[in-house]
Amino acid sequence: MPYLEETVLAVVVVAIGLIATVVLRPAVLGTRAGKVLAFLALAVMPIVATGMGLSAHMETSKRTEFCLSCHVMEPYGRSLRVDDPSALPAAHYQNRRIDRDHACFTCHTTYTMFGDVKAKMTGLKHVYVYYLGEVPKKIELYEPYKNRECLHCHDGARSFEENEMHAEIRADLDSNATSCLECHDVAHEVESETKP
Amino acid sequence: MNDESTPLDPRLVRRLRISGILVGLGLTVEAVTLFWAHPTAFLAFLCIGGAMVGAGILVYLASLVPA
Repeated sequence: MPYLEETVLAVVVVAIGLIATVVLRPAVLGTRAGKVLAFLALAVMPIVATGMGLSAHMETSKRTEFCLSCHVMEPYGRSLRVDDPSALPAAHYQNRRIDRDHACFTCHTTYTMFGDVKAKMTGLKHVYVYYLGEVPKKIELYEPYKNRECLHCHDGARSFEENEMHAEIRADLDSNATSCLECHDVAHEVESETKP
Repeated sequence: MNDESTPLDPRLVRRLRISGILVGLGLTVEAVTLFWAHPTAFLAFLCIGGAMVGAGILVYLASLVPA
């Protein structure tokens, strides 16, 4: 939804205005209209604003800026900007094959809050570890990277379909028997991008 | 619709004020966090803003029960 944050802000401002009326002029509650006003201000609008706000935060968490706001992700952010055409993240990011504002989420669509319940619990675990636990020195995916993350863009693309190697192993690519990363193996080379 | 004003129970007014303050502060916290792209903002939205709004709504609903 476009302008979601602004819409939530508008609902919040109107709700606070109505709440101020109820709190500062309680006499309005003596009328039926006042009771309806109080119900809107103290129950309906806060629930609507909170629901929309939650949705806005979920959308925000898809943004590259959000992912890279944790300092442990900074090397992964740098891997988008390295001068190496063979590096997958850099090639996609620098050639605008992906939306730069959603660079992480485009290739990690089931990550943390956007997968199933297990993924959401993992997302909360990350928050816990970041603030209260110990972040592992080497950050790894919980399961092997699935070709689905590549094929949701490349499937049907002419450059992909006309490649002979892809055609030969297409069934294996579709079933994950062969990983795209077996050939395209330069992903996030974080160690070489971490400053000493 | 009957719009005649009826006298208000002071306890009801006090609970509605508490509810209004909680919901108002909670909504303010929620609004502020919306413009900060960081996991802390999400936590503040949910744990502080959401909790205050939830508590305020509960106080409001509780105020209706005796009435």
